[in-house]
Amino acid sequence: MEIIHGVQVLVKSVLFVLLWCQCEGRDSELSYVTCGSLVKLLNTRHNVRLHSHDVKYGSGSGQQSVTGVENADDSNSYWQIRGKPNRPCKRGVAIKCGEAIRITHMKTGRNLHSHRFNSPLSNNQEVSAFGESGEGDDLDVWAVQCDNDHWERDEAVRFKHVGTDVYLSVTGEQYGHPIRGQREVHGMKSANQNNWWRSMEGVFIQPSQEPLRHDEL
Amino acid sequence: MAAKGMNLCNVCCLLLYVISAVLAGRDFYQILGVTKSASIRDIKKAYRKLALQLHPDRNQDDPKAQDKFADLGAAYEVLSDEEKRKQYDAYGEDGLKEGHHGSHNDIFSSFFGDFGFMFGGNRQQQDRNIPRGNDIILDLEVTLEEVYSGNFVEVVRNKPIAREAPGKRKCNCRQEMRTTQLGPGRFQMTQEMVCDECPNVKLVNEERTLEVEIEQGVRDEMEYPFIGEGEPHIDGEPGDLRFRIKVLKHPVFERRGDDLYTNVTISLVEALVGFKMEIVHLDGHKVHIERDKVTKPGARMWKKGEGLPNFDNINIRGSLIITFDVEFPQTQLDEQQKEGIRSLLKQGSVQKVYNGLQGY
Repeated sequence: MEIIHGVQVLVKSVLFVLLWCQCEGRDSELSYVTCGSLVKLLNTRHNVRLHSHDVKYGSGSGQQSVTGVENADDSNSYWQIRGKPNRPCKRGVAIKCGEAIRITHMKTGRNLHSHRFNSPLSNNQEVSAFGESGEGDDLDVWAVQCDNDHWERDEAVRFKHVGTDVYLSVTGEQYGHPIRGQREVHGMKSANQNNWWRSMEGVFIQPSQEPLRHDEL
Repeated sequence: MAAKGMNLCNVCCLLLYVISAVLAGRDFYQILGVTKSASIRDIKKAYRKLALQLHPDRNQDDPKAQDKFADLGAAYEVLSDEEKRKQYDAYGEDGLKEGHHGSHNDIFSSFFGDFGFMFGGNRQQQDRNIPRGNDIILDLEVTLEEVYSGNFVEVVRNKPIAREAPGKRKCNCRQEMRTTQLGPGRFQMTQEMVCDECPNVKLVNEERTLEVEIEQGVRDEMEYPFIGEGEPHIDGEPGDLRFRIKVLKHPVFERRGDDLYTNVTISLVEALVGFKMEIVHLDGHKVHIERDKVTKPGARMWKKGEGLPNFDNINIRGSLIITFDVEFPQTQLDEQQKEGIRSLLKQGSVQKVYNGLQGY
């Protein structure tokens, strides 16, 4: 009986070690935002999600507008995280803090963009959606600012515009018709409570194993 | 006497072992077709392949289809869970706590979406009148290596799900005209917002893992739908999540259909006297190339069967087409070398003038 018990304990511990090794070996990016993922970004101060739609600004650049919306179930609030122009990021790899990315609007294929135009309501810097099928220009690039090594899903981060050094922000001004209730999203120079964003709903891609290789010996 | 006793003992042990093996329940590893040391990923791959083949909707002629499919679900449920797998490995199926019925639909839907078992895409017919949430389309970038060998991509879907909440809510709100009487013969028409009462729901974020397969030979713009994994609709059904394949450009190979094109630069000497070389293919295997005749610049070599697998039948492969270009020596030749070359090659002067751009 003793021997059987001993053997059982041995088998169990071997199994445990094997399974533990499997876990360590497997790349798990479950808690990070990764390259290629689709996310909704929530401004934590004003509780609105980054949003765009086929509505152009009536002033400034006249490009496609970017706003903040309250409801959580609009597919126009999905954005895809992609690498810089001509530098695709590897699918499924967690985005590093400080990394330069493009944030592409899923529905319209336009990139989150900023430039030296005034925003319509608050006279901060206008943030628009620009480009076609994911290709725009160098003003589409934003740097993710966070404290750790990588962008964690349940952590608030800031987005700093690489071309003009402003932070993606919301300060609460609301539009009227035809986008009543939506908030203005703009770029502002200072880092404050208004420029924290958190990833919410989305489709988060995990890193894949390399496909099978058949190297000849 | 002792020997006979030993033999009897051995036979009894063997019998006991066989009986226990038979009674120990199903062999989950065999059902999934994986080894005992298979990783969770291997198990998922095996489940996904078999689930598509064994689903009862696909096997309506097979009376045992339901059982086979149920076995598959049970096998996956145990082997994909660390705790349960440990217990199963130690004690067999009987050693597992409690029955593990139901929730095979949960497992199936992590690979195909919430309503993925509706084969044949009858979704359109059924919900003409039911409002539907938005679809989500994710552009999934894949490498040519993945198109050649196939791969799996795991994603975590975090989505709002409507859950019951206490109380009632307003739904189907609309504007209606109301007529109120202000006095004898005097009326006023006003617009009023009128709503119905519905059971209250609230949206709660929930997460689940989905598994997308990059099938061998997949083409650009092909889509893999996960039914019901899109945006929710508070008064209706959720939309779908669709993965749209985007094949990335490759530094060595160019894809045209199932064929692959590549270029090789050889030296002038190799072009004239012949050469042997190897090209490393997308999965690491080497393609041998040998020439012993003169190779002209722009010459093409066809290697059958070295292209990409065809999406509809992966046993058929396209070809690899290699185009050669020649690199001339960088240094200039002196008089002696020039004389040497004239006498070696014995090619007279040609100097033909023609319009090369119009095919003359």
